[in-house]
Order: sequence, then structure tokens, then C-alpha cells
Amino acid sequence: MTKSMMASLNQYGITDGMVTSLVITILLTILAIVAGRKMQTVPGRFQNVMELSIGKLYDFFEGIMGKTLCRQYFPIVATLFIYILLCNYVGLLPGSGVLPGVKAPTSSLNCTAAMAIFVFFMTTIVGLRAHRGPSYFKHLFKPFAFLFPLMLIEMFVRPLSLSMRLYGNVFGEETVTEQFFEMVPIGLPVIMQLLSVLMGLVQALVFSLLTAIYFTEAGELEEGEELTEHA
Amino acid sequence: MGLVALGAALAIGLAAIGPGIGQGIAASKALEGMARQPEAAGILRTNMILAFAFMESLSIYGLVIAFLLFAKI
Repeated sequence: MTKSMMASLNQYGITDGMVTSLVITILLTILAIVAGRKMQTVPGRFQNVMELSIGKLYDFFEGIMGKTLCRQYFPIVATLFIYILLCNYVGLLPGSGVLPGVKAPTSSLNCTAAMAIFVFFMTTIVGLRAHRGPSYFKHLFKPFAFLFPLMLIEMFVRPLSLSMRLYGNVFGEETVTEQFFEMVPIGLPVIMQLLSVLMGLVQALVFSLLTAIYFTEAGELEEGEELTEHA
Repeated sequence: MGLVALGAALAIGLAAIGPGIGQGIAASKALEGMARQPEAAGILRTNMILAFAFMESLSIYGLVIAFLLFAKI
């Protein structure tokens, strides 16, 4: 991708982060198709690796969400995790932020806010499905009815804090690395890069973990309510 | 303009104090628990990271404000 091409794309409101995000999406799709196309009972080497990594992820989320919910909503949570992880790690590539079309998508508030709003609406859908109707909204009046304004605020602050956390961490870390690079070009930025390998993983984990917990909270039924398990 | 720069520095600086102390306490307690009961290390680690995320978000709010002010300089 050349600089002039990217500049003309920028005119139409297509940013570097969007191009990177698109490339990541296409790569993940191809990987998923290739991995799932010829599945065998006795897995080969490639299938083994994929099965192991997804299996580990499944066990982790099953411990948090419980059996039924994890079966239903694992694809959403796991997709968010893998996508955010790759988005964060794009920021570690040499030339990211300088080369046209290569930039960590999560270092822009637009990307993280989009995901947070999706999670917000999805949480409501999970709650409505689990409670079979609008009785889900009763949780806003518990434990006391006069706490309703507080519960409402809490509900709407969630997407804000979710998006701000991811954006602030990734953007802040990239800015710090850049500043370090300007001060001491050799040595110091490498330490920061090593730290950001860890940070990218932790932030991806935190986002998907919080999503899983929101889903669990919405999908869990109160005591005394009828158990309506449906796969 | 000078005051805006000072405000940006104070925003992130002050916002880092509280979460720093809080995360220190949380990490110390979690490590204590892990040393005492190594079999519970997995669940403790998950919950510790989760608690960190909530504390960290306070600091991130300060960081965002600092960036907003920084753009004004």
C-alpha cells in the first residue's frame, strides 16, 4: 500500500486503523475456514494446534460463565478476545504508525467504542433471552427500588469504561513508546515493547473477561425463578 | 497555556497515585493467598487481573483527560 493511495483513502474517511482491522478480519476468516474445512477424528498437526488453543480458551471461559451460557456465547467472547489480541499486537510491528495502512486499530476510540456498544446491546439481548421477556429489566429495581437511578447509571457507564480502558491503555502505551524512542533511540524502547507484549494480552483478556461477566450477570436467573434452560 | 500543561501533568499524575496504592495492596494480598494455597492460584490470578482492570480504569480516565488537555497546548 503506497502513501498516496492511503492519503486518497483518508480523504473518504478510511483511516489506517480501518485498513489494518480489515486485513486482520480477512486473515482470521481465512484461518478459520482452512482450520475447519477438513476436520478429522484423528487430528493432524495443524488441527491439533487449533483445537488445543480453542479448547484452552473454552475451559477458561467455562469456569467463568458456567456450562450453559458458555455453550451459547463462547463464539462471541472468544472472537472478541482473538480480534483484540491481534489488534493490540499490530502496534508492535516495526513501522506501525509510520507505514501507511499499518496502525493498531484499538489505539483509536472509534474501534473500541464500536465493540463496547456491541457488548452493551448484546448484554441486553442475553438477558432478554435468558429471562424470556422483559422481566429481565426487573434487575434494575433490585435489591431496592430507590437504587434505580444508580443501577441505570451503572448500566450506561459500562460501555464507556470498557471502551476508554482499552483505548487509553493501547494509545497511552504507544505514545509512551514513541516518546521513549525520541529520547533514547536504543535500548529503552525495547523494554517498553516487551512490556506491551504483556499489556496487549492482559487488555484483550480483560475486555473479553468483562464481556463474559456481563453476559453471566444478565443470563443468570434469580432464585425462585423458573429455570428455563435452552441450548 | 502554561496552566493547561500543568493541568495535563497533574491529571495523569494524581490519577496514578490512587490506583498505584490500590493495585499494590491487591497484588500483595493475592500473592499471599497464592503462596498459602497454590491450588487456588488459577482462580486468584483471574480475579486479581479483573480487579486490576477496574482500578486501572480510574487511572485511564486521568490519562484521557491529560491527552485532551495535551491537544489544547
